[in-house]
Amino acid sequence: MIDLNQLEGTSPLLDEKLQEELKKIFGRMEMPVTLKAVVDMGEEKSREMALFLKTAVSLSDLLTLELYTPEEAKCLEVHTDYLPATGLYKDGAYSGVSFHGVPGGKEMNSFVLAIYNLSGPGQEIGRGLVKKIQKIKKPANIKVCVSLACHHCPAVVAASQRIAILNPLVEAQMLDANLYPELVERYGITRVPFVILNDEKTFTGPKTIEELVGMLG
Amino acid sequence: MAGYIGKEITDFTVQAYHKGSFETVTKESVLGHWSVFFFYPADFTFVCPTELGDLADFYEDFKETGCEIYSVSEDTHFVHKAWADASETIRKIEYPMLADPAGRLASFFDVLVEEEGQALRGTFIVNPEGKIKAYEIHDMGIGRNAEELLRKVQAAQYVEEHGDQVCPAKWKPGEETLTPSLDLVGLL
Repeated sequence: MIDLNQLEGTSPLLDEKLQEELKKIFGRMEMPVTLKAVVDMGEEKSREMALFLKTAVSLSDLLTLELYTPEEAKCLEVHTDYLPATGLYKDGAYSGVSFHGVPGGKEMNSFVLAIYNLSGPGQEIGRGLVKKIQKIKKPANIKVCVSLACHHCPAVVAASQRIAILNPLVEAQMLDANLYPELVERYGITRVPFVILNDEKTFTGPKTIEELVGMLG
Repeated sequence: MAGYIGKEITDFTVQAYHKGSFETVTKESVLGHWSVFFFYPADFTFVCPTELGDLADFYEDFKETGCEIYSVSEDTHFVHKAWADASETIRKIEYPMLADPAGRLASFFDVLVEEEGQALRGTFIVNPEGKIKAYEIHDMGIGRNAEELLRKVQAAQYVEEHGDQVCPAKWKPGEETLTPSLDLVGLL
């Protein structure tokens, strides 16, 4: 594992005001959450993410950070095709929720919601919807490609990750498409949010949690 | 004409020069698919063939998006033919060239300069229901860009299909990470 002490200072993305806001939100967490991030410290975005995560976990005693090199990450469940990659873990188990890129801009919202929803109590959703999510029997991978300036994107990320948290067969990845031009080219992405289901079907535009569940059922 | 956007195009019947033949084009002909009405001042001018040739170069791209191009001037369809016979640039055009000598279309789109009997360089993107979704009007000498027009047509189609709840993605690799903005009011 990478020694966190080699990261100096705090992330410029989290100013004092934002840190105070995050402390309040993280103060509502119930269970510990571990962020396992795979970073290539030779790359700028990875270094940026490492410092961002170090600063973020310093805001709650229930948050822990583990940083891995790509070589060390082979034993991790989180996908490492798109670095930096950060998986959320609870009780030692991978939640199926991951972030690829730095969740700046609007994606700060989905990042905070993912932690809050995994740690509990989480956002309230109807009992019927929870049942539907838990009844999904087919393994599914949802990639939500975003732009950090997109104000429609965080809701789709949060919805897909809410499903992943409630069903271990579902994995939900947020990808900042700006960092992965080959992904943009392969799927011809021109608009976001852009959802890729099981690396096959694609959808442009917002999707509610109910619509996503319908696609997975 | 104030309030272009959402306005339904008028009933019309005009003659057109299209790939060596003459044909009639009506309002009904342009319904059911996306259309671009591309007005220009007159045949046998210099800026026009450049614009129309540019449009011809992108014509396949427009067709792929399900959009037909209709160039329009206040000349007759016979003059369009004569121009095509005389100009290699015009001869390669595969979209219908509408003839509007009575000025009916130019009047409806409010691009007619009556004292000159010519149209301003107006471009109108019309949806399959015949409603104007985007437009631009230039003074006589200011040319337009077919690639930009294609982008506008595609944007209009996206919005029609997905509503306005998508964000255009302008990928610039290496861009700085945006400062986070937290907005979770009512979500926790």
